[in-house]
Amino acid sequence: MGQVLLLGLIQAGIYALFAVGIVFVYRATRVLTFAGGEIGTASLYVAALVSTRAGLPWGVGALAAVTSAVLLGAAFEFLLVRRAVDADPVVLSILTVGLALTLLSVETLAFGSSPQGLAPPFRGGVELAGIVLSPTMIASLVVAAALGLGLQSALRRTDFGLGILAAAEDPAAVRLVGVPLARIRLVVWSASAGPAAVAALLVEPTVGFVTPGYASTLYLGGLVAAVLGGLTSLSGAVIGAVVLGLTESVAQRLFGDAGIPNLNYVVDLMLLLLALVGRNALPGLVAWIYPPPPAAPTSTPVAEEIPA
Amino acid sequence: MTAVSLPAVLAGRPGVPRVVVALLLAAVLPPLAGATPLLSEPHALLLTGACVTAMAALSLNLLLGYAGQVSLGQYAFVGVGAFTTGIVTGVADLRLPWLLGLLASAVVGAGLAFLVGLPALRLRGLYLAVVTIAVAYAASESLFRIDAIGGGSAGKVVPRPYVGDTALASNASILAIGLVLLVLLWRADVNLTRSRLGRALRVIKADESVAASFGVDVARYKLLAFSLSGAIAGIAGCLNGTAYGTVTGAGYGYAQSLALLVVVVVGGLGSRGGVVAAAFVVTLYPEVLLSIVGDGIRGVDLVINGVVLMAVVAFQPRGYAGAMADARERRRARQGGEPPLPPTRPSLPDLGRPSGMPTPRRIHRGEPVLHGSGISVAFGGLQAVDGAGLRVDRGTIAALMGPNGAGKTTLFNALTGALTPDAGTVHFLGEDVSSLAAHRRAARGMGRTFQLIGLAKAETVYENLLIAQHLAAPYGVAAALTTLGSRAWERDLRDRADATMDGLGFGRYRDTPVGRLSHGQQRIVEIGCALVTSPELLMLDEPSAGMSPAAAEDLASTLIDIRDTLGRTILLIEHNIPLVLATADELYVMDAGRVIADGEPLEVVGRPEVVRAYLGQEVSA
Repeated sequence: MGQVLLLGLIQAGIYALFAVGIVFVYRATRVLTFAGGEIGTASLYVAALVSTRAGLPWGVGALAAVTSAVLLGAAFEFLLVRRAVDADPVVLSILTVGLALTLLSVETLAFGSSPQGLAPPFRGGVELAGIVLSPTMIASLVVAAALGLGLQSALRRTDFGLGILAAAEDPAAVRLVGVPLARIRLVVWSASAGPAAVAALLVEPTVGFVTPGYASTLYLGGLVAAVLGGLTSLSGAVIGAVVLGLTESVAQRLFGDAGIPNLNYVVDLMLLLLALVGRNALPGLVAWIYPPPPAAPTSTPVAEEIPA
Repeated sequence: MTAVSLPAVLAGRPGVPRVVVALLLAAVLPPLAGATPLLSEPHALLLTGACVTAMAALSLNLLLGYAGQVSLGQYAFVGVGAFTTGIVTGVADLRLPWLLGLLASAVVGAGLAFLVGLPALRLRGLYLAVVTIAVAYAASESLFRIDAIGGGSAGKVVPRPYVGDTALASNASILAIGLVLLVLLWRADVNLTRSRLGRALRVIKADESVAASFGVDVARYKLLAFSLSGAIAGIAGCLNGTAYGTVTGAGYGYAQSLALLVVVVVGGLGSRGGVVAAAFVVTLYPEVLLSIVGDGIRGVDLVINGVVLMAVVAFQPRGYAGAMADARERRRARQGGEPPLPPTRPSLPDLGRPSGMPTPRRIHRGEPVLHGSGISVAFGGLQAVDGAGLRVDRGTIAALMGPNGAGKTTLFNALTGALTPDAGTVHFLGEDVSSLAAHRRAARGMGRTFQLIGLAKAETVYENLLIAQHLAAPYGVAAALTTLGSRAWERDLRDRADATMDGLGFGRYRDTPVGRLSHGQQRIVEIGCALVTSPELLMLDEPSAGMSPAAAEDLASTLIDIRDTLGRTILLIEHNIPLVLATADELYVMDAGRVIADGEPLEVVGRPEVVRAYLGQEVSA
């Protein structure tokens, strides 16, 4: 049983890292981004180039990976999001799908589908309940929780963070009071790419190699965890990831030999549907567990109009 | 006119793309005449693949282009169709007909979409996108790989259809089937967009609150759109499985679903012709490139697709079809031709209650049309409405005034059912409607307009008047897709829309998008939308806001017409005191969530508590 829990927590750490990035972008822009997995994978290729091909230390490669991810996020905002900024969040979400597709096909074109290796940062590890825990496994959940809490307090406690939250609520009003909207968007899109790169770097030693699109499947876990956590709560995202990781691990133990390949995807879908059913059927209970997301703007006004 | 007959469709009836018809004839005629087919077998297979993409694109366009809901796992439903066909037609010894497989594909596709969409579509936002990604992975990586479904590592075999005892062995014959299916789906899509179903989906995409105010059950229609989309995707899958003969999960993954998104966005969301054209282009151009440039180009097409998707979203979000529409618009603008000046107002037509809507309940003389009492609404700590109530008698105009923040609109929303009050009851025509949703109250004869205009701005005046009659023509999905049994309804709807438009003097603006009209004109169109179903009670939220004094005078005479000529009852929120005094029979004044005065308008506006509410202090007489 200890082994099942441990495996679940390791998986949860990976999901949590992706989920934190997803929720951060969602809170800041109301856009659900589908590009994080590919941003992570692309930055890993950068790390592989720097560390494996050029022979530099792991830390240099990791730094290069995170830097390139942040630059990629900034370029994405500057070249594309900026043009479509008044569009519906749905349209901007499709834009992130475009980025994911482009990165995926560029990876395939440049590196082929043969796996690239990246030496792990640390040797050895701790043995617990029959599993050898590598330092990166332990790091992922810790880093995810730290990132989640850090971002949460940065959003709530700093002026810039509050500006980000306000910009998501009502961009027009925020522009009027002089908040630099363009800079906020640039910071949000570039900063959100960072956790994706960190997530990919911490997963890689567990998987052992990089192939095009390999982080996409893990990113699905991040999306599900973010929804489980209510989509607007950074700490909820981490909790959602733990729930998801443990459920997958327990389901694998119980039904692993029932002849269903890749059982975890079915578990993801079931858990997601259950969570949505819960949000529909038990709004009171769920509102207590998850704080409800801010209501979408409607055309039924509550405030009165100022007479001429 | 009769239902669409196949020969009529094949003869190239308006709306069916000639290219598709020409391809169909090229595929079918030579073999029938005993000649060699014009298309080689590999080419026929390739074109069949393009047909599959086109059908899948129609399915995603229905969901994303019409209803505005994102699916990132559409190919899972295509896969479901392919495996279902394999399973159904392959049942040992029975050799079930292929058509049964086709039917089963549509049914299973729709059923799966329904189940998955049921929890996701009741919520606003992008939940469906996440759920459909999960479906994409669960289907292609897991469920389709279960031996019982996917037939093991070799994949599921889909037998060719039989005609009598001969199997249709040639790819050209499957292409012919594919083209016929594509034409039929195209036709159904045309019918859908012209039906109440298509109008409901468009208004949901534009604004869900507006949709609800027109009586559209938003959650139900989103689910319907997704189920239909699942059915069409299932049909596409049936064709794909049949064409290739073996089905494996790898062909129906997340990657394929994303590629389909490229097709639909590039072709133009909501444009049938655009997405079908894009389906053919996106499927065929990599093959053309390969044959010209050679193997070195392999993989580049995927990069091109990704970059084009981003560029289209950022620079021309309406895709190819949108670019064409903009070009047409510029040409028209160059030729000059702003809409003409507003005409004078003819008299309103007395339209009866539409036959599709329940006749409003009859009430006794002296019984109020609308009676709300003890209504309280709190937003967090703010008590917006605090035990307010009012009654409106038949054939009168009642007005509701009050300073900003008095809670007038909130009370209005509680009366119409747009929000649920914490306490209080609402009786409409003698019936307790307190627990009914907004669209059910609308169906009972409660028409309303919004403070901020509640119209689909991108649609024309005429379209809005049709959307407003959503509840007046209650024909079903089958009628919407085939036009069988919907024509008489639609004729009636159009007549009523025309009569209302002419009655309000808006005939010349028939095809003008509402967003281009002046604020005051939009108000009149909104009142027209409320009037077109001939409701018993009209509830207007600040109808004169943003109007010039002359336009407000015109409005006053329209309101008086509605009361005196048509015998309808009106409740309006208004700040414009001359308008209130000119029209209202009864005036209610609200302040801080309570009704502080009511009675004869001229007398009420002079009361000290009313003056105090507006000016904030006692004014000595």
